[in-house]
Amino acid sequence: MIGYVLRKVLYTLLVLAGVVVVTFFIRPPGDPARVLLGQRADSASVAALREQLGLDKPLPYQISAYVSNLGRGDLGRSIATNRPVAETIAERFPATALLALTSIAIATILGILLGVIAAWRPNSWVDTVTMSTSLLGISLPAFVVGLLLVLIFGVGLEWFPISGYIDRGAEHLVLPMITLAIRPLSVIARVTRSSMLDVLGQDYVRTAKAKGLSDVSVFMKHALRNALNPVVTTVSAWFAGLLAGTYFVEFIFNWPGIGLAAFNAIEKLDYPMIQGTVLFTAIIFVTVNTLADILYGFIDPKVRVS
Amino acid sequence: MNQDRSESPSRLAFRRLRKNTGAVIAMVVLSVMIIAALAAPFITPFDPSTQILEYSVKPAGFQGTILYKKNPADPETPSIIAVNTWQLRSDTVHYTDPAGEPYSIARTALVGQTSDDFVAHPTFWLGTDRFGRDMFTRLIYGMRVSLSVGLISESIALLIGIILGAIAGYYRGWVDDSIMWLVNVVWSFPTILLVVAFSVLLGKGYWQTFVAIGISSWVDIARIVRGQFFSIREQEYIEATRALGFGSMRTIFRHMLLNATGPIIVLSTAGFATAIIAEASLSFIGLGVQPPTPSWGQMIKDGYGYIALGTNWGMTLFPSIAMAIGVLVLNVFGDGLRDAFDPKTSQR
Repeated sequence: MIGYVLRKVLYTLLVLAGVVVVTFFIRPPGDPARVLLGQRADSASVAALREQLGLDKPLPYQISAYVSNLGRGDLGRSIATNRPVAETIAERFPATALLALTSIAIATILGILLGVIAAWRPNSWVDTVTMSTSLLGISLPAFVVGLLLVLIFGVGLEWFPISGYIDRGAEHLVLPMITLAIRPLSVIARVTRSSMLDVLGQDYVRTAKAKGLSDVSVFMKHALRNALNPVVTTVSAWFAGLLAGTYFVEFIFNWPGIGLAAFNAIEKLDYPMIQGTVLFTAIIFVTVNTLADILYGFIDPKVRVS
Repeated sequence: MNQDRSESPSRLAFRRLRKNTGAVIAMVVLSVMIIAALAAPFITPFDPSTQILEYSVKPAGFQGTILYKKNPADPETPSIIAVNTWQLRSDTVHYTDPAGEPYSIARTALVGQTSDDFVAHPTFWLGTDRFGRDMFTRLIYGMRVSLSVGLISESIALLIGIILGAIAGYYRGWVDDSIMWLVNVVWSFPTILLVVAFSVLLGKGYWQTFVAIGISSWVDIARIVRGQFFSIREQEYIEATRALGFGSMRTIFRHMLLNATGPIIVLSTAGFATAIIAEASLSFIGLGVQPPTPSWGQMIKDGYGYIALGTNWGMTLFPSIAMAIGVLVLNVFGDGLRDAFDPKTSQR
């Protein structure tokens, strides 16, 4: 077991090394200093900015400086605000985490519920409606869902505020949370349904039914518990993807998280900020998935061997 | 037909696909979209960048009256004057502009000979945008961008994914390890963030967008091809090709890849839809395809400013619906393909 965990952690570090190198190269094409200052800037100020950003040094030196700064938790300074990027991320992360966690919680609970309901009577109208709605949910990108919700529940019905953070009231969380939850909810509902149908076809379920157990008991105790494995994988994979989804949702709802910071940075080509947020998201993504893998190793001995 | 003749797997799959009503409808809608995109100049009333500033942000169904004025710089595309009323007296056209101000212009300065030539009453079925450009026209041209992104980006993704996946699955060992390391590195970034990152790196523009999306979305394809190769490699007919002394490349491409076609097609349909969403997302944040080339994401972004005001919601809604339909039919079609290639899934 220790060997398994150690192997996983080492491999994750190896992958993270690659992630850092890829992130390093996220910068405007050509001479970033020139791009940032515009074509009309005089060469003295371009040279000054180049020196400030360390772009005058050779590439291998830049990479090693970038890596050693990372080691000290230094993600560089934002070009737009001149504040340390790590500081902005630390400050903004709680807002993003709140949004992502509540969304994935809603998506998981509702998704499993809908999936089970759909699997209860396959090909009935309930199943058809649930599955077609979820297909629509998968087909809409977050920013479109967000805009539609704003249109209907914000501007039309005036039920919920369309912009702002929860410091102005918890109702500000509702629309961004639902927006972010729609896609994972749809995916989880579909995975749950097909996994349930898989399990319901197994021999031990037939045995349980033959024993004379009630439908509900077979469904909930025998089938659902075994059907949840692929669902857990989906949830952990989606949680990380959700962090990327927050970029758009935060912009639409003016939610002061990492995504909004990244969004503003993209508009200004503030690349240290873009690098920082992308790297941060990737690290969370990788960490969550590695932890999920290790957890699987504990639960299911078969995983450890392969 | 000869009943004894055995059918190829792809023919069988196609027959199963034809029985799937949803997939057939999706296929029809998709064909209509492709034809509309190809025939865009013939079915749209305007050029996508034609601006009639007097007609900015008009609602759906708005009907205007316009005069066509000769354009010495470009005789093919006449200038447009929006008018409220007009009257032809002797050789001069007297008209009032939408604000009610009276003007006059010599008839010879207008296009053609009779009023049939120089007056038009276009209906803006989906309204106009901020610059008075026809939304319907821009939607159709935006579809061109979306479909080309899907096609080109997915081709790039397929090329990279198949090559790397095939090499990893065929040679295994350290080759496989290094390719899988690369796969895991790329996979560590949520796709849309990677697309954004590559867009920053490559700069804004048409081709840059295609490439950014393409080189961000090959990972799933590489994984599935590698997985298929792992299982196909063990089968006897592959051993037979080795015994016959075929080269590795011939074995990979002629014998192994052909047997992985089903899953690859299914994945690329899904990838096509993802690419459309990725391009729209990029355009929405101002990277991606640049104005004046119309793109759905850009149109949604343009309309976004009006939403909070509670007016002109059509500017956001129509491109959103177009994108939803496009992605939805691709997903339905992809699901149908999956069921057709793998009948096991459709039976449950």
